[in-house]
Amino acid sequence: MTAGPSTARSVHSELLKFSTTRLWWGMGIAVLLSAAAMSLLYGILFTSSVMQEPGAPVGDDVQIANSVYTAGLSVSYLLMLTIGVIQVGAEYRHQTITGTFLATPHRARALLAKVVALLAIAAGYGVLSLLGSVVTGATVLQLRGADPFPSTAVLRTLVLSLLVLGLWALIGLGVGILIPNQVAALLIGVGVAWIVEPLLVFALSFWNFAADHLVPYFPSSATNAVINVIEDSSGVARLSWWAAALVLVAWAAVLSGLGIVRAVRQDIS
Amino acid sequence: MSVIGARVEVRNLTKRFGSFTAVDDLSFQVDPGKITGFLGPNGAGKTTTLRMLLDLVRPTSGTATIDGVPYHQLADPLGTVGAALEATSFHPGRSGRDHLRVLAAATGVPTARVDELLELTGIPVFARSRAGTYSMGMRQRLALAAALLGDPRVLLLDEPANGLDPEGIRWLRTFLRHLSSQGKTILVSSHLLAEVEQTADEVVIIANGRLVRQGSLAELSGGSGTIVRTSDPAALASALGAAGVAVHPENDGCLLAQTADLRLVGDVALQAGLPVWELREKAADLEGLFFELTEGTNRTAVAVGEGGAA
Repeated sequence: MTAGPSTARSVHSELLKFSTTRLWWGMGIAVLLSAAAMSLLYGILFTSSVMQEPGAPVGDDVQIANSVYTAGLSVSYLLMLTIGVIQVGAEYRHQTITGTFLATPHRARALLAKVVALLAIAAGYGVLSLLGSVVTGATVLQLRGADPFPSTAVLRTLVLSLLVLGLWALIGLGVGILIPNQVAALLIGVGVAWIVEPLLVFALSFWNFAADHLVPYFPSSATNAVINVIEDSSGVARLSWWAAALVLVAWAAVLSGLGIVRAVRQDIS
Repeated sequence: MSVIGARVEVRNLTKRFGSFTAVDDLSFQVDPGKITGFLGPNGAGKTTTLRMLLDLVRPTSGTATIDGVPYHQLADPLGTVGAALEATSFHPGRSGRDHLRVLAAATGVPTARVDELLELTGIPVFARSRAGTYSMGMRQRLALAAALLGDPRVLLLDEPANGLDPEGIRWLRTFLRHLSSQGKTILVSSHLLAEVEQTADEVVIIANGRLVRQGSLAELSGGSGTIVRTSDPAALASALGAAGVAVHPENDGCLLAQTADLRLVGDVALQAGLPVWELREKAADLEGLFFELTEGTNRTAVAVGEGGAA
């Protein structure tokens, strides 16, 4: 028995699960619109006179372009987190996990298929998001006299934004298993990433040690570092893009790994 | 393609959830080509046993195998065992057809088989609407279609008649008969004996997680007897006794003769010069037997106290 074809079949099954509910196109619209709208907003903001005022965020041309093109990411990574939670949470909620494990009794393989499918799904939405933000953002930057493509480092950011989305989907997978109630998992997952973490970052920025040694390792801080957006002036330390990418990979690996271990051992009743 | 069922074997199976013993040293065997009813009151441990057979629940001790192999080691799980565990495990936003396509994709079953099964289970019309709108009967049919996807050799059905209308129940019976005539192994759980009485060849009765009785329905109901009513029961009883037929007095002056031979009883009465006012086969009171076998083992009754059950 080879792992190859059966894993491929499980991945196909996972992709079908995603494409056979209404979630996928709702998410598609949300990703595209938020990407276009946010990059329009940021494109105007970062090329305006506000940037010259004291206390304004600081960034070079590359960071401005990065910020504009990944403006929608702050919304779409939360959407990928949601997709990750739902891809497994809905299975527990509607008890379809029984059928999944009956078809693929090798549970680790069934869950690995979820990991692969989520990376593919996130990459798909990532491309959609870039389509919205780059078209809008480049138009705005061009119109307002800024350089839309100051360096190839921008391309790196665009590619990394796909990785970021995939990793957040995997964080969602872990959260979706570790918090068995899907609604609770969604509220806690999005709540922590969107509200608790920024508040904590703000609070900790007044404590030098934490600002330098803890905050950069938070998933949202790492996300911002990976795509190298312009920095606010709070003085919180930031990792280099590759270190931040590794930190985010670690978050995704630990959370989805713990989730998978739990799902493999758990009784399904 | 010849279909040969597989042997389902449960041996010394035990499952404890904390201090609660759901399944307690349970052993039984289910053979191919027959329909076996898996009976017990609600909470007797039927579903837990089926889930252990499918490696969804890990046994505390003991084994549950299909042809000697645990489920997760089967080379072709859905082609070996088809299971319908509950009629509610669908995503309400996914159509029935898509639900089957998702399962089919995981095992490489072609979509053509999905449509074939929708026809077979009689739900092709509804298959494209969302499963959340389905009636209980349609959910049961969809669950059965899912179980049959891989054309399995063994079918494990948990309360498949729940929510079916009388016509649906009749359809299910015929359908299961047809499948068992192909040689498949079929295990159907139910908390109602009447539900499987007309379908099952064999029954496995459990209560409190323990085996109460296993055997054919005929064996279970005991030797069938003959009810006879006459003017002088005592005289007929001694005449039958002389003819070698054991007799017990029944209520209302009837006699219960321990024989299925109505003609013999009639002949004996004629020779004894006694009128026969009533002569019939005693219908096996399986429901009564089932109740008797599982009485006092209801978990809630046990929880109240052992003394109360006696």
